[in-house]
Order: sequence, then C-alpha cells, then structure tokens
Amino acid sequence: MRLVVTGPVSAGKSTFIRSVSEIEVVDTDRRATDEAMLLKHKTTVAFDFGRLQFSPNMALHLYGTPGQSRFDFMWDILIHQAHAYILLVAAHRPQEFRYARRILTFMRRRSQAPVLIGLTHTDQPDPWDAENILIALGYLTDQHPPVIAVNPTQPESVAQSVMALIQQYCESQASVTQPSMR
Amino acid sequence: MAINVEKLNTVLQNFVTGTSDVEGAALVTPDGLPLANSLPIGMDEERVSAMSAAMLSLGERIGSELARGSIDRIYVEGDAGYGVLTSCAEDAVLLVLASKAVKQGVLMLEIKRVISELKLILI
Repeated sequence: MRLVVTGPVSAGKSTFIRSVSEIEVVDTDRRATDEAMLLKHKTTVAFDFGRLQFSPNMALHLYGTPGQSRFDFMWDILIHQAHAYILLVAAHRPQEFRYARRILTFMRRRSQAPVLIGLTHTDQPDPWDAENILIALGYLTDQHPPVIAVNPTQPESVAQSVMALIQQYCESQASVTQPSMR
Repeated sequence: MAINVEKLNTVLQNFVTGTSDVEGAALVTPDGLPLANSLPIGMDEERVSAMSAAMLSLGERIGSELARGSIDRIYVEGDAGYGVLTSCAEDAVLLVLASKAVKQGVLMLEIKRVISELKLILI
C-alpha cells in the first residue's frame, strides 16, 4: 500500500517519514537556496521514500513530496500511485494555508484517494485550531476530511496518523465495493 | 565576488549556437532554481530547473545505493534526442539538450569544455 505525504515547505514531511520508516530513508535532500533557506538547511528535491511492515501481509510504502510548487511534476507522479495521502500543514504559519489549499486542489484533481489533514508544529507559539484551519483550506461545511494533530518527530504520533489514514482507506474501499456486490 | 549571470548566459548561448545539434542548455542550482539558460522557446525555465535537480539527485542516490559510485552524468535518450545532466562545480547542475543527430563523442567533449568554462565564472 502506498501512502503519500505532502504539504508546504518545512511542514515536517521528511521528518514524518524518517520517524516511522524501518529502512534507512531514501532521501534526495539538497542544500536549500530559495525561501526555504529561512526555515531549514536542506530541502527535498525528488522524493523521500520509507517503508514500514505494518502487519505480516501489509507493507506500507511512504512517499514524501517536495514542498515547492516548482516540483509539481513530482507531485503529479507520486499522487497517481497513492492509495491514500496526508496533507501536513504547519498550524503556526497561517501564511502557508493558501498554499496548502493549492496543493490540496492539485491532488484532488488527480486522485480520488482518501485524504487526511495533519496539523504539525502545534506546540509552537500561536497555533491555529483545527476549525479555523479547515476554513482556511476551503472547507466551510461539515463535509471535510478528518483532521489530526501530529508531531512528526515522535514515532508514536506519526504511527497514530498512519493508522488513521489506513482506516480511512479501508472505509473508502468498503463504500466503493459494497454497491457492486449487490 | 558576485556571480556574473550575464557571463554565464553568454557562455551557454555560445555553447548552444556554436555546437551543432545542441538545442538548449540550462544551468541550475542543486535544489532546482534557475541560474542561467539558453533553452528552446516554449520550455519553462522553472520547470526545467526543478526537473534537472530532481533527476540528478535521484541519479546520485541510485549511484550510491546500488553501488555504482559517484555519478559523472545522467543520460536520457529519447527517440527525438538526448538530455544530458552533469554536475558542474559544487553549486550547479548543467542540463544539455541535443537532437538525435548529434555525434555523442563530440557532445561529451563539448560538455566537458563548457563546464570548465562555467566553473571559472562560478568560483
């Protein structure tokens, strides 16, 4: 099963994957020279890849996208393979919500896969709460993907959100297959 | 001293016009930002830059993970021509686009030459 981790620059995508991967993560980090430089030293330019044996008959492949939109061809390649994806949003950087919304629109146009919204950096000063972030992402009604707070540096927290994502995937599968069985 | 972008552009332009069957060239940073280019019309510089960086970093990763050593160049061969990626000094990646008709030996030598020229400007 393939899961894609996406989100704006420095939301915690690479850290997320490093936290739970059983193999040494395949990363493609390069020294940042753009606006990402203000937030961190290195940035992903192709994708991160991690693997997690979830149960004896289920291996999870985790793919992390680059954050910058100039790499949208990578988003395109990765999302087409995804069974489910998680959008990480840094809750304390409201200036990025618009951009996160753009990523979300990009992904939705290409994939029907279930999505989960992960709020990161919630321990930073002045984080927004889930409700307001949902509004900022364009969800004005009760119909919205599940939101979960996740700390990418903590393996338990990441594992929890991965579980939630798998659960969502199973639910969406169930709702697809049921009508055809009748 | 600041990098002389004008000079980089001139070197690339001379390279593209002076080497037969070379259709375009771009110099980008390893994280995928444009430095200088002489690309065919209709090719988006930003996109080309990001793709070059992604490709080179994946290639280098394949080189190390699959024990192929350090990577000299990455070669994309299509039925309409070639794309060759070469790292150029520490902070730059050179992409060269050539048509199918190009003599590969000449292309490699010319790339080597233009890289030594670009390196002088970059340092």
